[in-house]
Amino acid sequence: MQPTPELLPGTLYLLILRTLARGPLHGYAIAKRIKESSDAALEIEEGSLYPALNRMLVKGWLTAEWGISDNNRKARFYSLTLAGRKQLAEETQQFDRLIQAIQLVMRTA
Amino acid sequence: MWRKLSYLFRRKRFNQELDDEIRFHLEMAAAERGEQAARRDFGPVLRMKEDTRSAWQVQWLVDLASDLRYALRALKRNPGFAAAAIFSLALGIGANTTIFSLTMEFLFSQPSCRNPETLAHMEIGGNSHAHMPHYRFLRDAHIFEGLAGSYEEGESNWRFGNDSYRLHVMRVTRNFFNVVGVPVAMGRPMEPGDGDVVVLSERFWKARLAADPNIVGKTLNIDGRPYVVTGVLPHNHRTVLGFGFSPDLYIPASRETDIVALIARLPAGMSMAVARARLTAACKQLDQVYPNQYGPNFAWSRNVEVVPVAGVERLKSMNILAFAAFFAMLQIVVGLVLLIACANVSSLLLARASARRQELAIRFAIGAGRGRIVRQLLAESLLLALAGTGAGLMLNIWLASVMNRVQLPLPIPLQLLIQPDWRLLLYSTGVAAISAVVAGFMPALKATREGISGALKSAERQVEGRWTLRNALVVGQLAVSAVLLTTGCLFVRNMTKSITMNPGFDTEHTAWAQMRLVPDKYTARAQTQALVRRALDEVRGLPGVEAAGFATAVPLNSNEVQGDSIRTDVSDQAAGLGFHLNFVAPDYFRTMGIPLRGRDFLPSDREGAPDVAILNENLARRLFGNRNPIGHTFRFTEPKLSDPVTVIGVAKNSKYFTLGEQGGLAAYWPYFQMDRSIVDLHFLVRAARPSDVVKEITRTLGRFDSSASVEVKPMRDAMGFAFLPSRVGAALLGSMGLLGLALASIGLYGVLAYSVARRTREIGLRVALGADSPAVLRMVAHESLTLLVIGLAIGLGISLFATRPLAMFLVPDLSTSDPVTFLTVVAVLAAVAVAATLGPAVRALRVDPMKALRYE
Repeated sequence: MQPTPELLPGTLYLLILRTLARGPLHGYAIAKRIKESSDAALEIEEGSLYPALNRMLVKGWLTAEWGISDNNRKARFYSLTLAGRKQLAEETQQFDRLIQAIQLVMRTA
Repeated sequence: MWRKLSYLFRRKRFNQELDDEIRFHLEMAAAERGEQAARRDFGPVLRMKEDTRSAWQVQWLVDLASDLRYALRALKRNPGFAAAAIFSLALGIGANTTIFSLTMEFLFSQPSCRNPETLAHMEIGGNSHAHMPHYRFLRDAHIFEGLAGSYEEGESNWRFGNDSYRLHVMRVTRNFFNVVGVPVAMGRPMEPGDGDVVVLSERFWKARLAADPNIVGKTLNIDGRPYVVTGVLPHNHRTVLGFGFSPDLYIPASRETDIVALIARLPAGMSMAVARARLTAACKQLDQVYPNQYGPNFAWSRNVEVVPVAGVERLKSMNILAFAAFFAMLQIVVGLVLLIACANVSSLLLARASARRQELAIRFAIGAGRGRIVRQLLAESLLLALAGTGAGLMLNIWLASVMNRVQLPLPIPLQLLIQPDWRLLLYSTGVAAISAVVAGFMPALKATREGISGALKSAERQVEGRWTLRNALVVGQLAVSAVLLTTGCLFVRNMTKSITMNPGFDTEHTAWAQMRLVPDKYTARAQTQALVRRALDEVRGLPGVEAAGFATAVPLNSNEVQGDSIRTDVSDQAAGLGFHLNFVAPDYFRTMGIPLRGRDFLPSDREGAPDVAILNENLARRLFGNRNPIGHTFRFTEPKLSDPVTVIGVAKNSKYFTLGEQGGLAAYWPYFQMDRSIVDLHFLVRAARPSDVVKEITRTLGRFDSSASVEVKPMRDAMGFAFLPSRVGAALLGSMGLLGLALASIGLYGVLAYSVARRTREIGLRVALGADSPAVLRMVAHESLTLLVIGLAIGLGISLFATRPLAMFLVPDLSTSDPVTFLTVVAVLAAVAVAATLGPAVRALRVDPMKALRYE
């Protein structure tokens, strides 16, 4: 198995928030979406998604509701709350600044 | 936080949903990648579940729960230890919360009324009471939502069958129940427009009327008039006055001469300052209508006060500092008792901690941090404290029910209504938490101080320094109980002293007959005077009666102080004086056994004769210095200069209101020169055996007027009120002292027994090496005696200073450094220490050297 780059600490929240920004998804779809949109470069341990989702529920960034999936199965759908959207905006901004700073160092130093 | 809390209530469903979610995920993944890949990508399921759950858990709460579970198991394994600790704490906390309940009930209880926060007492012109016309004027000014009046100290005669009884009645204006919002349990309250109606207290209805269920609508004969019962108050009725005061009846204040305290219902949101401004404005108008009511300098609009009926402000405005100080002292004393109990639990925990070294060592070894273990040990003391508080609260409820039933020998009826409430719950929770920390913290720190290395060492081989925490605890306990015992002992001494104290008049050979007349029948003073004269003649003729007198006030039972400004014939300066005034008939001094210089009042000192007076020594000296006052005269200068009054005699000083008072000023006037009619008559009778003449006197006085109530008792029995403070103090503080002593001796015994047990091996060795019994005894006794001496020295040293403020509660000839008290305390504590040492010492002697050496 190809070693996958480790996630920067705290970025899992950001990835989940970003993924859910387009609309409610169930857990499996979130994992799949993250994997696909990173061209399989970011392969998170799928199990670790759920503790993260639950912590975000506790923080009030997400809400969860049971619904019917594409293949007509009962599944739990997560969606962003207002606080979640605010958090996404904030974290995106911080992340961008961090990356720019790192890149600046990488180029000049 | 709230989201987390909601988790607690749906744990089961949560787990179910999590399982469903994982299954869905795995099945979806398996459909795409095959089952194996799906499981691999997902990672360990169990760990993931654990992590997810912990996202919702409040970690410290989970830890606490497991700590408590563990502590419960540990305590179950040692039921003897747990019982001893819980018992100690239960006594300490029971005493503590009971005093708290008593303080709350006495000082801070809410009266039975609607919205007490908008209810206020009013004082006008510096007077707590106003006459009916003034009350009506203010009521009709409509400056508040309502204004009512009440007079608390009323008495009435109730005619029932062939007897008349004196009752304590609250005279209220007919709108009182509406304005104050007093709830009734049966029938309806008194209302404006009612005639002669009466509302009964539950106690009166039950005790005197056999709880007649059809009482509403019936009539009672009160002061010779029929009153219709409209309602009965509930069991938990508390008067607006508070302090447990509970009259028998509420009747309308209807006479023009009645006086009432003003109580107003303020509009919601009106501040006391605004209310005061409004009242002052209304009083200015009152001044126009009723000017110069009490002399030229008097105005209603001066000294206007508005005081809330409940809460701290009311206490501030009333002169009850001594009361509050007494309760504060009680609270401190029970705090000390609790401290001793905590020390007991502490030393028990310490003893246990050394027995548990092995267990702690294992916990250290498998990686528990010190903080975690301290928390675990604290959980144990918290559990003990909670159990102790539970048991203590039961004790509290039982003691409260005892106190509620107590009938104190007071001239006015008091009824306490102590009930557990949220304040008690809050307080006891606080006490439990504090005692858990106080009792558990030191032992827990000590048990974990040495970490793994210390814990792994065998406990028995540990050599402890002489000055261990445990010894310090014993010394502390001894010191605190010395303070407690000193306080308790002082109050017991105070009681015995005050009971045997000479009040300055004879209480052994006198009887007191109290007769109350129906006011409407005796409006002219000539009627009353005629009755008194005839009654005295007849009582004097009874067999066994040596002398009989009459007075308007009985010493130690009345606190009427007259304020006057007096000018004597030896000075041209008037002096403002407050003195006890008593109108007495001839022969009062002989009857009461009060030595008199000069002459007594004579039958000729009557209306129309020149004014005469008898002073007590204090007042005579105050007015005339060292001159012989007999034959001198004085005048009152206000409201206008009076005729001269001639001093005809000087009575020896005696006690007038309290046994503790000193230098009380008193003056006696001839009753037959009194310028107004009274209905409360006090006959005093001298007899060799007062109890023998009680019945005859009752019958004789009863014959004069069947509507009058007559109560006769030997003077000694009637002194209950005067002895009450010292008795209550002795009972409360004496029992606290005993409780503290009991707890401290248990602690002392436990610690000594434990230390001897620990030294079993050493003692065995010594005996094997040839030490004889006296040597072993000396060794054991030496240890406890050292502790005793240090503890006593510290305790007595503290007592010497800490008890100083108690002087305000003690009779004057009892000093707070009373040697008898201190010797008693030393003797008692030494005896307890010897008893506590004896058991372990004897056991030490019985140690079989072989057994002791083979012990390991």
